[in-house]
Amino acid sequence: MDLLTNHVWIPTIFLHPEKRSHDGTAHQDDYSVELMLSKLFESPIVILGFSLLSKKLEHCSLKWAILRGLLGLPAGALVNAFGAIVFGAPVGIKFLTRTVNWALLMSLLTVVPTASVYGSSWKDWQRLYAHSKPITPIDYAVCLPAHGAVIGAWFGAWPMPLDWDRPWQEWPICVTYGAIIGHTLGTVASFIVILLLSRQQRIKRD
Amino acid sequence: MDPPSCCRLTSWTLVAAMLQISGLFLFILGFFPVKPALTGVSGPESYMPVFDGAESHETERLPPDQLRSLYQETSGVTPLFDRLILMVVDGLPAEFVLGKDGSHPSEALMNAMPYTQSLLLNGKAVGYHARAAPPTVTMPRLKAMISGAIAGFLDVAFNFNTQALLDDNLLGQLHDIGWKMVMLGDETWIKLFPGLFTRQDGVSSFYILHYLGLDHVGHIGGRHSPLMVPKLKEMDEVIEKLDMAIIHHHKCNKRTLLMVVSDHGMTDGGNHGGSSDEETDSMSLFIGLDCKVPDYASLSYNSISQVDMAPTLALLLGVPIPKNNVGILIRGIFDSLTDRHCLRALELNSWQLLRLLKAHVPGFSCRNSMSRDANHEGLEDRKCNGSIEEKLCCLLSKASSFHYSWKLQKNSSVISDGMISLEMTVEAYYQFLETASDWLSRKTTEKPVNLLASGIAVMFVSFAILLWGLLNLCKEFPVLQKNTSYQGEAYTNWWHLDEIFALMGIMGHVLSLSASSMVEEEQYTWHFLASGLYFVFLRKAFQRVPKETISRSSVQEKKDSLKPTKHEFLRKDNGGYLKILSILLVLILGRILRGWHQGGVNWTHLPDVSKWLEHAGSLTLKSSQVASVIFVVGLGSLSLFLRSQRSLIYATAQIGIFVSGFLVVLYIMEYQHEGASAYGGILIARMIYGFLGFTVLITAIASPWIIPKSNPFTGSVTSIEVNKWSFHLEINNCTYLVGSTYVICWCLLQLLLQQPINAVPVVLLLMQLLGSLSYFSIATVNHKKWVEVASLYFLGMTGHFGLGNSNTLATVDVAGAYIGLSSHSTFLSGILALIITYASLLLFLPSTILLPMKDFRHKSSPPNAPMGSFLKSSIGMACLMPLVMNSIVLISFTFILLLMRNHLFVWSVFSPKYLYVCANTVSVYIGVSFVAATGAYTCLVFFMRSKLLRLRGHG
Repeated sequence: MDLLTNHVWIPTIFLHPEKRSHDGTAHQDDYSVELMLSKLFESPIVILGFSLLSKKLEHCSLKWAILRGLLGLPAGALVNAFGAIVFGAPVGIKFLTRTVNWALLMSLLTVVPTASVYGSSWKDWQRLYAHSKPITPIDYAVCLPAHGAVIGAWFGAWPMPLDWDRPWQEWPICVTYGAIIGHTLGTVASFIVILLLSRQQRIKRD
Repeated sequence: MDPPSCCRLTSWTLVAAMLQISGLFLFILGFFPVKPALTGVSGPESYMPVFDGAESHETERLPPDQLRSLYQETSGVTPLFDRLILMVVDGLPAEFVLGKDGSHPSEALMNAMPYTQSLLLNGKAVGYHARAAPPTVTMPRLKAMISGAIAGFLDVAFNFNTQALLDDNLLGQLHDIGWKMVMLGDETWIKLFPGLFTRQDGVSSFYILHYLGLDHVGHIGGRHSPLMVPKLKEMDEVIEKLDMAIIHHHKCNKRTLLMVVSDHGMTDGGNHGGSSDEETDSMSLFIGLDCKVPDYASLSYNSISQVDMAPTLALLLGVPIPKNNVGILIRGIFDSLTDRHCLRALELNSWQLLRLLKAHVPGFSCRNSMSRDANHEGLEDRKCNGSIEEKLCCLLSKASSFHYSWKLQKNSSVISDGMISLEMTVEAYYQFLETASDWLSRKTTEKPVNLLASGIAVMFVSFAILLWGLLNLCKEFPVLQKNTSYQGEAYTNWWHLDEIFALMGIMGHVLSLSASSMVEEEQYTWHFLASGLYFVFLRKAFQRVPKETISRSSVQEKKDSLKPTKHEFLRKDNGGYLKILSILLVLILGRILRGWHQGGVNWTHLPDVSKWLEHAGSLTLKSSQVASVIFVVGLGSLSLFLRSQRSLIYATAQIGIFVSGFLVVLYIMEYQHEGASAYGGILIARMIYGFLGFTVLITAIASPWIIPKSNPFTGSVTSIEVNKWSFHLEINNCTYLVGSTYVICWCLLQLLLQQPINAVPVVLLLMQLLGSLSYFSIATVNHKKWVEVASLYFLGMTGHFGLGNSNTLATVDVAGAYIGLSSHSTFLSGILALIITYASLLLFLPSTILLPMKDFRHKSSPPNAPMGSFLKSSIGMACLMPLVMNSIVLISFTFILLLMRNHLFVWSVFSPKYLYVCANTVSVYIGVSFVAATGAYTCLVFFMRSKLLRLRGHG
């Protein structure tokens, strides 16, 4: 169990510096570059971490888990981009890179961990996301942060129509902030839940 | 406690609606006060002191020449000018000419107007920053300049079609003394003053030149548009020409005043209408006065109010000050007059304001103010305090005593110690004038608290009644939730995500209304909420896809389906894919709709589909319109055909739709470009109105009598359950026919009335509606009824903004409101404007009757349930939910408006939005009445027929 919690913390630790790195005045272009760098840096860690996790639990090979995570990245990005555009994200060549960047990040936060762990098991995906019914600790570890990220992104879009003329109101900066904050909260929540679960199990064993 | 019966619920709802309307009325009366205005026209009596008694209103009308000489004799102020050229530059901010905060305007702007700037530098012209009162739109601003009165908000809002200015005003006064007037430029003037202008050259004394170009430049490219400097150059050339002509004609003994004014300023984006400094910074420039040379530093502080022009011009030209004027004489203009005349002018202005004050405050009488006691000792130090009435009285009496003593001193030419100087008297007069003018102009925004409070209280009571009814309905008809939850746990009493989201959306929207920019950009909020709700639906749809994956819960499912109902036999589960497809359709169409009009206020310049289409040319537009009509007719007849029973009434509805569709195409092809006034166009439009109304009416009235093909009323079928089912199915069929006929006819009407750019959005809305309905009618979809109604309401509001509406009055499509009308009628145009503006909401709200009735299997309703309970279960929610949702918005926004009454944007953002909220309320009433009337009528006919048949069977 201790090992597991360690793994869960990995993405969070590496998300924190990214969150701190741009203050409210970050410029759009700086932001894009930063986001891209952070993704380059972060994606192997997320994929590797969850792949290790899945290998440990489900007894499948590490190679496959990494491959699933890698495949999950663009697929999840597509889904996220679709969602963002339907919600009103601007379309157009000008916004293409921003949307792609954002979608890749969202994919890392939501789809990739689940993909590394569960692959294409429709049953598990449905259980985790359509019903939101995590059972095992690893379910919590992938499911709660993902939910947090989506909910956070949804709330993060609310300040966009305000006429404050701040650079961070541009698509997709505040949405990203929201997603990261939500993801962090979800991670903390999953951590607490896993602790509680393990204690319960220990009590049961006793 | 027993749930309330249908009758009680209906009557309480009606009571709540009545209360809401009366509460709204009270609040509007309190918040938008109708200020008392003096009727009639100022005449010679304005040169007499004010008496407390009734003044003789009617004096015989004198011919112009006599009137003019009478004025000259009695006024005591010799007119300085015999001729006026009023040059109105629409939308010119004073900053462009006079600079700001004591500094010159920028180099480019200075160079753009060389002549004007040289006039200012040489002291041949004097300019002022004239503060314009909101709303900063042309028509009310012209009224303010000419009559000196500030109009209330409602006066402005309801006069969006320009109407004649009937109050006392400068132009009328000048007309009375025989001035000939010529107007060139904007037509607003002719509408304001019909019949006043003549087309004679040479002998005219009043020229109005109204230049619109600068405002257009602003609207297109903003305040700093590159076209601005050339436009200003053009204006400068005009001013030069005019001034040269005046100097040239100086010999002919006519003193001419050239005034260059602007009606309002503009924001950085080139908009106007609000109350920001940039918008209210209008200019007035007097050319031809002999004034001291003012430098820029003093100029920039020369801030006057726009209404001050009216009394100033009146006395400069020798006519009485208009009755409802709240402006005061502009300082520095009368410097060239003698001291005596100057004080007399101030006295006349004071008397006029005193008369107006008396109209505002019924008991206002300044008995002491007119006392002519020379005893002015201690007057200088007198502090005027106390209530505003006392203060005004005191200030006026102080001023008039000073004036009186000053005159005595002049006559006796004795120099005493207590010398009253001219400056002191002038200052005393201005103290009164400024206080009075300030108070009078603030009076239009003052709110009577008890009216507002009672209005809100009454609205709140109505809201409580509606909510009580809704909660009772929810309690009485809980949805039979099949266990969709994962492991078959019973979650029926839990709140589901869709319910939580819908509730949160309603609350979130209300909260967002307290931010002015969220009000301006409300389209984003609604689109965001509606797509969010449909994403939640999508998530729910994925819970069942594909079916076999829910293996673990299938045991539970089987337990549930041990008691199969007819309902489940009749409708096979179409699988989750149809659900997902229809939700995706709604979502994607919603996004297209969002991209159609950029909407709002702050980002209107961003590209959108409508701008692109407008650039594409009229052929594209026209073909999109025709395609839309064909699509709507096709979709409509398909949806009718799917449920068709080959009965006569279906055929009638089909024919009605085909014919009106054909006529709409004809109108678009032949008459649209000719405008609304062409005879053939009017005829066709009226025929379309007639056909559409007739089709809906006939369908609604006749269908309950004709529909049931198989006779559901004979009790020969063994199972009562089945009998009851088919009975309900027939009612459902009937409301379906009426509802879809209404929906199709409404869309066709919109295709006729909406601007061509909106043809495709109407189709998108229709498809969204059909997509949602097909989703809700899938048997395994089991949202609570109120969520379904709420989701249609969400779509309706999203569509409202998707059609290009916003919360500013500027987007109301007035052009469409004249289609099919031969003569001007405010009432009919108003109805048409409501139909156009609330197209989307009035499409979605009545269509709640099309929502499938799944609740009738409810165990509490016995086989022969009374009509009341059936009605309650079928349409109760469709009626109450929109009322409650609208009521929440209405009451919260009323609170918000009250809180924001001193907000900078109260006139430009919150008040227009309040009018929209009121119109929204009206639309909700209309939609709900349609649902209630159709449902009640259909049920009534069905129950009557079944009773008749049963009687016949027994007999």
